[in-house]
Amino acid sequence: MNSLLDHFETDWQAMTTNDWIGTVLTVVIFLLMILAYFQVFRPKNRERLEAKKHIPFDEDELDQD
Amino acid sequence: MQSSLEQKYDFEIVRWFTIMAVVYLVVGATVGVYIASELAWPFLNFDSPYISFGRLRPVHTNAVIFAFGGCTLMATAFYTVQRTCGVRLWSEKMARFTFWGWNAVIVLAVLTLPFGLTQSKEYAELEWPIDILIAVVWLSFTINFLMTISIRKTSHIYVSNWFFLGMMVMIVYLHVVNSLAIPVGLFKSYSIFSGVQDAMIQWWWGHNAVGFYLTAGFLGIMYYFVPKQAGRPIYSYRLSVIHFWALMFGYVWLGAHHLQYTALPDWTGSLGAAVSIAMIIPSWGGAVNGMMTLSGAWDRLRTDYVLRFLIIALAFYAMSTFEGPVMALKTVNALSHYTDWTIGHVHSGALGWVAGISIGAIYHLMTRLYHTEMFSIRLINFHFWTATIGTVIYIVAMWVSGIMQGLMWRAYDEYGTLAYTFVESVDAMHPYYAMRAIGGMTFLLGAVVMLFNVLMTVRKSVVSGSLAKARAVPAVA
Repeated sequence: MNSLLDHFETDWQAMTTNDWIGTVLTVVIFLLMILAYFQVFRPKNRERLEAKKHIPFDEDELDQD
Repeated sequence: MQSSLEQKYDFEIVRWFTIMAVVYLVVGATVGVYIASELAWPFLNFDSPYISFGRLRPVHTNAVIFAFGGCTLMATAFYTVQRTCGVRLWSEKMARFTFWGWNAVIVLAVLTLPFGLTQSKEYAELEWPIDILIAVVWLSFTINFLMTISIRKTSHIYVSNWFFLGMMVMIVYLHVVNSLAIPVGLFKSYSIFSGVQDAMIQWWWGHNAVGFYLTAGFLGIMYYFVPKQAGRPIYSYRLSVIHFWALMFGYVWLGAHHLQYTALPDWTGSLGAAVSIAMIIPSWGGAVNGMMTLSGAWDRLRTDYVLRFLIIALAFYAMSTFEGPVMALKTVNALSHYTDWTIGHVHSGALGWVAGISIGAIYHLMTRLYHTEMFSIRLINFHFWTATIGTVIYIVAMWVSGIMQGLMWRAYDEYGTLAYTFVESVDAMHPYYAMRAIGGMTFLLGAVVMLFNVLMTVRKSVVSGSLAKARAVPAVA
């Protein structure tokens, strides 16, 4: 490998159906991960998400139903 | 109020799995110590093929991973899903089928592996009829868990259940694909994959058995039992969400790092190594999340021995999830692969993390399931130190012997001739193999003490009638 660009060189013509399925899945999963990070760390969602951590301590309430 | 829980929930199945988990811990560790001793003192083979290292090693791995680990996962999953969803298990009969089916798998493993009946696939040795039974039993476990979640009283599904469910779904997928084989007899089959594809599928399964079964499942235990034992909610729920999704999406890529410098395409190993390094982030995020739950209450570690098990397990989790990615790197792998370093790494995860978090959870469960305090707190403390010291002796011995092996195998003189024969490297390992056996014995001693303590707690519960009383009190309407 002589330059950084060589690492990203792809023979698109040689891509098989399996290669394309894998590539698309990888990109979609990558985008979903970014979305997950964005949603989880968005300040607006903080209170809503952090409230869930008390569930193991709500058992007494649940047990009485 | 506490007593009515016996009517509201199905704790009987949890008790069965919990007791069997401790029994299998002792059995699995005993076989482990024996085969470790065989390597140090080979006369222990007694020239019998049935107890040779090659035959007993899969008995040990199946006993600790699937018997001890499986029973622990099933006990804790069935307990936490009921408590966090506020409902009884969806199907009692299915849960009992899971218990007897899983134990039948374990018995069949013990009956076949010493006789050399094996598919020769690591951590997937059992022959095809047993593989089918595993798939059916695991599906019954999964469906029961899923249906219990579907009838829950809470609006949100607590994160521990996500980890358990992620493990269940992925293990179905991994086990079925890796076990695809063409039977040629009742006890013989051939994998439908061949050559390098077979190796890749095998390690796609192998590393994900670590990633989903031994990590995700036991993280499910961590996210429920650490907060409960500490009496404080998990440090960051948001971090747990990211931990979950990053683990689910990341782990499936790692298998190829087991096949560096083989016939596998070079880029596949590089990808496996790159994602392995990336996985340090969610793994450490999870470990820090668990440990920081104690933030402001670290003094609890001085007195709460169960909490000590849970927190030291997280320390081992952090250590082994750093060591693993480093070993995945090609440069390090060139030295570490095929050496005892791998065995040391595996046992820092298995003894330190998996067994540590399981033991902590089981001690926590015992008091709740039998409605009494543990028979002896001092014995729990004794167990903590034997488990920790035994684990450290074991992994240090393997680190030293592994690095020594790697260096001896690749040392050569000025003529390009290998400096050592293979036999010389085996001979040099003897002190470390003896040290490893001693580490294992120390860990086993703790496991035996735990079994005694657990059985005495059950006896205490029977004698005092605490469980009978709990069962007799009618449920709160």
